[in-house]
Amino acid sequence: MSDIPGALDAIPLLGILFQLFGYVLANLQYVSNTTVAVAVPITLAALCGVMCERSGVVNIGLEGIMLTAAFVGWFVAAEAAGAMGTGTPLPYFGITMPLVIGLVAALVAGMAVSLLHAWLSISLRIDQIISGTIINIGAAGITGYLYSLISSQSLVGAGQFQKLQVPPGVVDIPVVGWLINAIFDQGPIGLVTIVIVVVLQIMLFRSRWGLRTRASGEHPRAAETVGIDVVWLRYRNVVASGALAALGGVWLSMEQTGNFNAGMTQGRGFIGLAAMIVGRWTPLGAFGAALLFASVTGLSQSLTISHPTGDLGSLINGVPGEFWEALPYIITIVVLAGLIGRSIAPAADGQPYERESAS
Amino acid sequence: MTGKLRTAFGLLATAVLVAACSSSATPVPSPSLKIGVVTDVGRVDDKNFNQYSYEGAKAAAAALGTTAEYVVPKDASDYTTDIQSFVDKNYNVIVTVGFNLGDATIKAAKANPNIWFIAVDVAPCVDATGAPDSTFTCAGDASKLLPKLIGITFQEDQAGYLAGIVAASVSKSGTIGQLGGINNNPAVVRYLQGYQLGAASYNPSIKVVTDFFSTGDLGKAYGDPGFGKTFSDQFITQTGVDVLFQVAGGTGNGALDAACAANIIGIGVDVDEYLSYPTADKCIVTSAEKHLSSAVNQTITAISKGTAAGGVSKFNAANDGIGISPFHNTAITIPGDVQGKLDAALLQMKAGTLKTCPTTCGTWAP
Repeated sequence: MSDIPGALDAIPLLGILFQLFGYVLANLQYVSNTTVAVAVPITLAALCGVMCERSGVVNIGLEGIMLTAAFVGWFVAAEAAGAMGTGTPLPYFGITMPLVIGLVAALVAGMAVSLLHAWLSISLRIDQIISGTIINIGAAGITGYLYSLISSQSLVGAGQFQKLQVPPGVVDIPVVGWLINAIFDQGPIGLVTIVIVVVLQIMLFRSRWGLRTRASGEHPRAAETVGIDVVWLRYRNVVASGALAALGGVWLSMEQTGNFNAGMTQGRGFIGLAAMIVGRWTPLGAFGAALLFASVTGLSQSLTISHPTGDLGSLINGVPGEFWEALPYIITIVVLAGLIGRSIAPAADGQPYERESAS
Repeated sequence: MTGKLRTAFGLLATAVLVAACSSSATPVPSPSLKIGVVTDVGRVDDKNFNQYSYEGAKAAAAALGTTAEYVVPKDASDYTTDIQSFVDKNYNVIVTVGFNLGDATIKAAKANPNIWFIAVDVAPCVDATGAPDSTFTCAGDASKLLPKLIGITFQEDQAGYLAGIVAASVSKSGTIGQLGGINNNPAVVRYLQGYQLGAASYNPSIKVVTDFFSTGDLGKAYGDPGFGKTFSDQFITQTGVDVLFQVAGGTGNGALDAACAANIIGIGVDVDEYLSYPTADKCIVTSAEKHLSSAVNQTITAISKGTAAGGVSKFNAANDGIGISPFHNTAITIPGDVQGKLDAALLQMKAGTLKTCPTTCGTWAP
């Protein structure tokens, strides 16, 4: 144990920091693309969470909504393509009629699952955690079963939305071009996500709807006394937000890949919940948290794909790969626990609302 | 967590050593074999494990003048009852398809010592009493405790070797890649090790970049195509590979998608993925294959002749157990010398003179 100070002395700390900076810079163009791709579904899930919880309904069924939408979108698009042919794609994003039909079906499916959650938690006032859990378990079981029934027909999906192609001249510009490429080298859902984040942020804090939403999440009784129909508002928010989580699911099965796989959301809905909390129940914050998680993911992938050299390499390559894979989660916990201070949920979050006049 | 996960879980292959000294079989001349196949969930015509295993059973049955029946379990909880349904109807050869059915098959074999069980892609791992060993200690000798249970395994490194030859031949950049699910899985690792050696045999200066999707998360490693796509996108751009081999189930499908999106060449695994994963057929040049049909056919035939023995039955080039898929994809030009090199390699594998796996076979040493 006594030789640890000596070992530390032997590591040229400043040099390693420089090397780390150089490594990140050299690999930024790869890490940045991954960052955006990892962040998109997490962000969409988190936005769904923000909309629900700001109005006072806890929604841990994000995972189930995403999975349902991923399945429905892929399946309906594939069936539509089988029935009507794919047709000629539009010049942008490779949009075809079956893809649009699939997307719409997925959004409707996502909202339908959300409606179930709204009914259980708002009207029946059952424990919202239980309701969300039912959705997660049910979605995993039902989509997994249906997929096992049809998957093996080797159903060719309807394809996928294509990415916007950033001109090579722009992509090759160091740093700036890479970042532009990372942001714009996406399909329609990825691009729309950024718009949704901004719009939702403004709506939530600058519009009448936002004020009412926050009021019913903080103090529903007070909101009701000034004439806000809390039950109706919560219903609307929960159902509408289902479309956001659904977009996240569809992104997986129709934009990032053209295929469904049982359980393909793999916990992204839960990471979205964490992003929502780290982002303090704000759309921009949630997006930031998702980007943080995603950028660490990209960096740790980069470390396994292209090993750094020199002192940095001997330091990093000496650490087991498991650590780098866990790092995004560790960072999220650290940030959640310490750096951002207290993250306070809306006061009435998760509490069923009952009108006083009832009965 | 379905489908090609079966390969991924070939973990049990370690039991090969245990089974290597299996005792001789009891000769059972059986003119009227009743053959039942319990597939994994899905469909029997899945262009994948279910289909090829059943076809093997059908072919064997036809040659014996009998028929093979099949049942497709609705979900994993039906494995045991579906196997039992064949037992109840006095079937004497029951084929179960894939790793997922391994435990149910071992239990059934223990309960019904007079019935032949063929577990496809499973190296039975049992404890001292002959029950499935979930700790993978494999203390019991399956070939003695369950003398009528045959686990069919494959020598993945030979199939990987052939894929490596093709990969090196179609690479223009001289850098090719391969992605596995997790590096602790001997079956996955053997594929990758064979691929490396095969590529080097075609072009000694080829650079093979290897990585794994995860260090321990099975869901990420084998069941997450979205992640597979994202990871592979980064892998392809960051390493500059122009051919990508993947051994990672559903996550690997994402890797094939990434290969298509990046306009590079992808290589399938286990079955002919040009047929089983048509989403990516435009960039799949070939697949490293396990010849499931042939393996099941041969095993049933051996049972009927009374030459079969319990334990692990290993399939490789010598008994037509592995191979490489036909080059369906006419858009990809294969150099003229490739077929000759593949044939030569296969001949050497059959003769046992070709080293397709390093001394650390099945263990990944970076």
